[in-house]
Amino acid sequence: MGEPVKGTVTSLSSIFAPEDAQKASVHVQEVISERQKEVQQLQAFLNDNTSLVNLVKKLPDQLHHDITVPFGKAAFFPGKLIHTNEFMVLLGEGYYAERTSKQTIEILKRRGQGLESQIESLNAVIKDLKFEASFFDETATEAAEGIVEIREDYVEEAFDEDKATTSGEDDFARILSRIDELEKEELESELAEEGEEKEEADIEPEFRNLEIKESLDIPVSKDSHIKVPTPNGSNTPVRPVDHNKSKESLPRAPMSRDEVEVSTLASSSSNVSSKTRVAASSSSNASSKTSVAASGSSNASSKTSIAASMSKEVSNFGSRSSNDKAFTGSIVEHTHNIESSQKGQTSAPAPTPASKPVSRFKLQRK
Amino acid sequence: MAAVRELQKDLEAKANDLSKIQKDISKNHQVRKKYTIQLGENELVLKELDLLNDDANVYKLIGPVLVKQDLAEANANVRKRIEYISAELKRLDSTLQDLEEKQNSKKEAIFKLQQRIQSLQAGKDKA
Repeated sequence: MGEPVKGTVTSLSSIFAPEDAQKASVHVQEVISERQKEVQQLQAFLNDNTSLVNLVKKLPDQLHHDITVPFGKAAFFPGKLIHTNEFMVLLGEGYYAERTSKQTIEILKRRGQGLESQIESLNAVIKDLKFEASFFDETATEAAEGIVEIREDYVEEAFDEDKATTSGEDDFARILSRIDELEKEELESELAEEGEEKEEADIEPEFRNLEIKESLDIPVSKDSHIKVPTPNGSNTPVRPVDHNKSKESLPRAPMSRDEVEVSTLASSSSNVSSKTRVAASSSSNASSKTSVAASGSSNASSKTSIAASMSKEVSNFGSRSSNDKAFTGSIVEHTHNIESSQKGQTSAPAPTPASKPVSRFKLQRK
Repeated sequence: MAAVRELQKDLEAKANDLSKIQKDISKNHQVRKKYTIQLGENELVLKELDLLNDDANVYKLIGPVLVKQDLAEANANVRKRIEYISAELKRLDSTLQDLEEKQNSKKEAIFKLQQRIQSLQAGKDKA
């Protein structure tokens, strides 16, 4: 292609140095370990709290408990714990309240809930941090592996330019919209009906539709297009050969179509080459349709879409450069079609190339 | 030569100012942390006091002794304390913002000075 390269390729390691990414990862890991320590501390508080609750619950079971009372730093002496249902609870900030065992337990439970919520939030934070760390790790490894980032601007303007230079914009849009319509019709009809024979029948009205839209000479083209789908039946091997050999009889149909189309398009664009290109694309469109008819299988709908997209591509790139085969390389028939049709650009719209691919395709099929 | 020396002196002074400001900021952070913790504790106390019955005995630890307090009085005290802490936090916020602004302007000034010194030295190298 003569297109200038629009994308930019930058290696990931130039944006994020592997060492930096690793450093960041290590830093996040440190933060995680810090948070985990906090969680452990809170968990210890929670454990203390629960054990305290148990103790407070048990204390009023008896009137008094024998205990050893700490006296100073190193001494203990035996004593008795009385008033086992009276607690002086520290509420915080130096405030104490006299409470019974039950009330104390309530207070302690509320504190436990607070601790639990704190732990939960910390765990969520840790989860986030872990995700971050894994992301940094991934970035580091990717950068080390030498993965590149490719940036490409969306280039619709390029197509516009091409259209402006080679063919009228409205022509192009018209063809695209028509292809879309055809696609839709085909899908609808295939949804409604099943089986090969019915499909065959479908294609005929379709082409008729197409022709009506284009305000074509109906009898001639209709005649030809009835011929095209029928080869799917038993007498297929005979007809394609006919197509190939007697070029005067069959090719008239596509030619007439093309000619009429050209004449309709002539009003919108004065460029001769653009006209022929449009003709070429439309003929390729026709060939893709027939290929669908030939395949006639259950997944015909997908094939039609493929064919349609192919023809779209053909029309796109056909208008760009004549030697552009790169995009149609996957399907041989199409490349051939474009090539031949574009060879005959300067001369007549070339009825032979239009019909040729059809017959060839059929031959290969059978 | 004298000009460069002058600039370097200026730069040093500015760097000192900057480090001072940064110290202030970190101090501010510490104080704020303390106050936030206190605020949390006070709110907890208030919640518990609200849950207490009216006839409950409430004591306040003042030094080594527990002093009996009226529940309503304790409640009012805690509320006042919360108010005070909130106000203090607000004040700290505003001073922090101030300090950060100062820090940024100082950083910019230092950057400009460095550039000037560099350009001066480059000019000298050429000459």
